[in-house]
Amino acid sequence: MDDQNLPDDETLVRRTQNGDTRAFDLLWQKYSPRIYSLIYNMTANHEDSNDLLLEVFAKAYRSIKGFRGKSSFYTWIHAIAVNMTINFVKKRGRRFQLSLDDIDANVQNDKELIDLAATNSPIREVDLSELQQRLNEAMMKLSVEHRAVVTMFDVQGMPHAEIAKILGIPEATVRSRLFYAHRQLQNYLEEFRKK
Amino acid sequence: MMLDEQQLQKLLRLKRFEQPPPGYFDRTLNEFHRRQRAELLKRSALQIWFERFVSGLWSFRVPTYAYGAAFGAFLVAATIVGSGVWSPYRETVENGSNLARVASSPKGFELSSYRLALSGDLDWSKFDRSSVSPRVVPVLRPSQTALPRYVLDGRPASYEASFSF
Repeated sequence: MDDQNLPDDETLVRRTQNGDTRAFDLLWQKYSPRIYSLIYNMTANHEDSNDLLLEVFAKAYRSIKGFRGKSSFYTWIHAIAVNMTINFVKKRGRRFQLSLDDIDANVQNDKELIDLAATNSPIREVDLSELQQRLNEAMMKLSVEHRAVVTMFDVQGMPHAEIAKILGIPEATVRSRLFYAHRQLQNYLEEFRKK
Repeated sequence: MMLDEQQLQKLLRLKRFEQPPPGYFDRTLNEFHRRQRAELLKRSALQIWFERFVSGLWSFRVPTYAYGAAFGAFLVAATIVGSGVWSPYRETVENGSNLARVASSPKGFELSSYRLALSGDLDWSKFDRSSVSPRVVPVLRPSQTALPRYVLDGRPASYEASFSF
């Protein structure tokens, strides 16, 4: 079933609470790619992302009876994912593995990338995989909290208010974390460019 | 030249293309089902009952009128107790005064003598063995009955030196 034709989240959550496991499968279908992307960009490791994705949905399934709809299901499951990933990364330490083999081939035809490469920018000389690798390495130098904000805002395109709700922090803190993270990323990428 | 904000954001947006291979999410859903079944088999009945109980507690909603009802009940109880219509302590106080009355009576005096005799604190040399009292009843001095003796750790408290900690 296409995501557009899926029933709304409220209906799916209510059906799951009443014991309809198929409804939870539809929630999985709707949200697993976004949750995977969030986890992957915070851990930079496919195997860890795979395990965490399963754990996040298992926890959501166990707790869904207690979900009272005060926030949207989208916010709720993102909050579970962010918290579990932050805890995981802090326990794991600084070990990470960049697995770029999974990049979608469509990226080569992306309009934004073509524009970016065509403009007179300092990054035009490096090829895509190198660029991505450098960016991932730079991302991994950020703290996990800053990485979470960058992933949600820049990669997933969430608004500041939504990120603030998910993380349970003021919107001003989200903005200041983003500002600081962007500065750090700019510095890291600049260092690479000079090499 | 440093990357400007816009260029950085464009670069970061490219990360959304980092996706797992096609079919990954369907395969992972099957894995999710398999783990759920395995977990269900692994858990004991007690764990399942506890989880249901906890989730039941979460889903339990206190009706809004319950707070008002509880406050009303508190007010009624406070009014009844405050106005003196009923007091939970009155009975205890009355019982206490009855005990004092019994203790000061001759019958009470006799009872306290028996109690002393049983505890071994009795001076047997002061027994009155006159014919007037055919039963063995000790003659008690006021000092033996008026003040209780408190014993701490096997020694009377009065023997403890004041500087002993």
